[in-house]
Amino acid sequence: MAKHLVKFNVNGKDHALVVESAERLLDVLRDRLDLKGVKEGCGTGDCGACTVIMDGQLVNSCLLLAVQARDKRIITIEGIGTREKLHPVQKAIMKHNAAQCGFCIPAMVLAGKNLLDHNSAPSRDDIKEAISGVLCRCTGYYKLIDAVQEAAREIREDKG
Amino acid sequence: MSETELVHKLQEAEGLAIVGKRIQRLDALGKVLGLPLYTSDIAPKDALRLKVVRSTVPHALIKRIDTAPAKRIPGVSAVLTAEDIPGINEAYSLLPDRPLLASTKVRCQGEAIAVVAASDYQTAQDGADNVLVEYERLPAILSPVEALKPDSIRVHDSGNVAKYLKVRKGDVKEGFRQADLVIENTYETQFQDTAALEPEVGMAWLEKDGSVTCVGSMQTPFYVQAGVAKVMGLSPDKVRVIQATTGGAFGPKSDEMPIDTCALSALVAQKTGKSAILAYTRDESMIAHTKRHPFVITLKTGAKHDGRLTASEALLVSDTGAYASLGPLVIIRACFHATGPYAIPHVKTDAYCMYTNNTMAGSFRGFGSPQVHFAAECQMDELAKKLDMDPLDLRLKNILRPGTLTATSQLVDEACGLEECAKRAAEASNWRAKRQEFGRDRGSFRRGIGVALMYHGNSLGPEGSDYAAVHVLIKPDARVVVRTALTEYGTGATSGLAQIVAETLGLPISLFELGGADTVSCQETGPTVASRVIVIGGRAAQLAATKLKEKILTVGGELLRCDRSKLMIRDGLVGHSDDPRQSITYETVVEECYKKHVSLIETGFYSAPKCEFDPENSQGTTYQQYTYGAVVAEVEVDTELGVVKPLKITAAYDVGKAINPLSLEGQIEGGTIQALGYGLMEQLVHVDGVVANPTLGDYYIPTSLDIPEIQTIIIEYPGAVGPFGAKAMGEPPVDLPAAALANAVAHATESRVFSIPLTAEKVLFAMRQRQR
Repeated sequence: MAKHLVKFNVNGKDHALVVESAERLLDVLRDRLDLKGVKEGCGTGDCGACTVIMDGQLVNSCLLLAVQARDKRIITIEGIGTREKLHPVQKAIMKHNAAQCGFCIPAMVLAGKNLLDHNSAPSRDDIKEAISGVLCRCTGYYKLIDAVQEAAREIREDKG
Repeated sequence: MSETELVHKLQEAEGLAIVGKRIQRLDALGKVLGLPLYTSDIAPKDALRLKVVRSTVPHALIKRIDTAPAKRIPGVSAVLTAEDIPGINEAYSLLPDRPLLASTKVRCQGEAIAVVAASDYQTAQDGADNVLVEYERLPAILSPVEALKPDSIRVHDSGNVAKYLKVRKGDVKEGFRQADLVIENTYETQFQDTAALEPEVGMAWLEKDGSVTCVGSMQTPFYVQAGVAKVMGLSPDKVRVIQATTGGAFGPKSDEMPIDTCALSALVAQKTGKSAILAYTRDESMIAHTKRHPFVITLKTGAKHDGRLTASEALLVSDTGAYASLGPLVIIRACFHATGPYAIPHVKTDAYCMYTNNTMAGSFRGFGSPQVHFAAECQMDELAKKLDMDPLDLRLKNILRPGTLTATSQLVDEACGLEECAKRAAEASNWRAKRQEFGRDRGSFRRGIGVALMYHGNSLGPEGSDYAAVHVLIKPDARVVVRTALTEYGTGATSGLAQIVAETLGLPISLFELGGADTVSCQETGPTVASRVIVIGGRAAQLAATKLKEKILTVGGELLRCDRSKLMIRDGLVGHSDDPRQSITYETVVEECYKKHVSLIETGFYSAPKCEFDPENSQGTTYQQYTYGAVVAEVEVDTELGVVKPLKITAAYDVGKAINPLSLEGQIEGGTIQALGYGLMEQLVHVDGVVANPTLGDYYIPTSLDIPEIQTIIIEYPGAVGPFGAKAMGEPPVDLPAAALANAVAHATESRVFSIPLTAEKVLFAMRQRQR
């Protein structure tokens, strides 16, 4: 199989990797960069658990080849918040007990953050739309929507 | 009064500081940070990756298995079949019907035949694709009703009935004689997939002493331990099982699949000496794991002109697929709840759990209850229509109230908030006004409102031995660890246990952490199913905490030089109840305990009272307490396309006591939407025994865009068993939404769809049938 040199930036850090043509971005992130917060729930682009932000867009990393990430800026859950300083979406998900089994949560945090990066005052419908690519089987989504709404409020207040 | 009852009563009398509060669960931080927690995240890089060769046909003799071509593939390190099993080739949970690896016959699609190990998944898959299995096809039986016929093809030599049971109360013939009106209808339900976001995964390695360690996504580590030990020919103490963080479960991860993933990994580990991991793909999971049983339910109901029910006759037939899994227990719960939550003097129910050559059904949140509530609650609306009564009024005339008898002649005690649930849900949804208003809709978009009521026998009842063990350790730094083999897989129930311990000890929740479930460090504790963690585990947690509290107070009394009986622990202080100046910090007392060699680890063990009933007619106490609920659903139907849009769900539950209302709302909301999928969109389709839609693209579960407005109402009639009166609330939220939605659609369209899901085709078809 052909090999390719791919350079991209993940969570603010530049990487140069030799990848095979058929290697999925998901596997490169999980297995080679050890970013285990990126989850695989289906491998067919249906569940969204493998969602990452690529150049400001949510993408399913199971459907992308690593070569398609060439020269892109990628953000995974590992690039969002720390124990000491959580992102407002992370804080609000904790406060609302909106993480149940937790498997969709890295993707949900990214979907919420990406929405708030572009829209600081989303309606409930905007939030539903923004997270609709990520399936959750535990919560029925209500507490996740509440959490994103609260995070939006917090971000606005911090700025205001 | 027994010791446990005494503890229970004392707790009741005190004001509550932590129980009943909206508290953040203890495992949230790692989850929002996406830390590596799940089995696949912690697999060693050099672990062998496994793929399973599965049957592609529903019924066949295996004539030949040729593994040679697979073994020749570079990178394939092992190809194992039934012959390689050192112990017993069995992986069943109740009836001895299912081998781990099939060798002579397959009875459904997806049965495991061989396992292939390689350094990466792609090579393992190449290997699996090159294992040649030659079949001699057998005719298949795919309908549970057909399977009942005496001349049916047999799935197993023992016959097709995996379990039969019945309820006989009063004289049903007499009941129908007394009736002014009798209706009879048949309802059908479908295979529903749990679709937990993390598919099944298990991992194993050999220890130097020849024992095996397994890590996996599971509900019940001790079941996995027993299963793996049997397959490996080891005694259970040579198998250690550790639950990794589990990405959703909903039932199948308590059944047989965690045995499969761990046992197949252990086999490879033993053959190769390397660690091995088996992670199911999504389609593999949907085909191989257990799903919700499809039911065919015929109900005959008699009533007086004024709506009083006189008799119910029910025939339940469930499809458990080729292997029983927990089907024989699911049918018990279904059978006992088949009338719905009504006091009916004459009841006759016959229930059959049938083998077919479809894929395996088993445990799924609700456990037979959603199916029978769908039928019973649609039947009540059909009856109301015939009687020209409001469906809510008909129900209120017949509901279980304190002093009435259930279908199994169990006396309903004071802990029954069903009437309040029904009335509060009706009030909050503005039932009466909307029932009128929506009925006047004309044009192509028509709204409807429907109601459904439920009761849900708590914990295992007749389905098993009901006990739990919870360990509580106070560490030298005074932090408290709550550990149990009752697992956490999303519900937050183990954080609820910590809340119960914190309440009992008088300590802030910030001092608490959860220990993981592990067969080495935890006592065997029964399965993590049936919403047992709070109801049964909570009692064990209370007992452990009470023992520790005694020790803290005793040592505290010595330090303060005062009578221990006058002391209490509150907000982290140990002090005199009459004189707050006489107090010391809890940390000081812990330090003193360690100095004085007072052990600060305790196990609470609770065993629920036994349910006693006549097994012949199923009359007596079938469950120790019941959860009750009412759901009102509002929909809008596009009468030209048949498409159903849910508008609002109002859900009122008598939960006994909400240990953590925030987590409880999460259970109600999540369960409601899982059941909304059941009612409106989800169906795992079998075509000639082969699953036609095993992907989340073709098997559609609700997204954030599919959810209606929701209102939850929590009502508390303390139950006799659960801690602080808590009742089971993990499962019950899935019992009603499908029925309430079906009744709302029937209201909107004046047509009845007798099966779920309520797809557009079925709704249109029902409307056309009526117009003819």
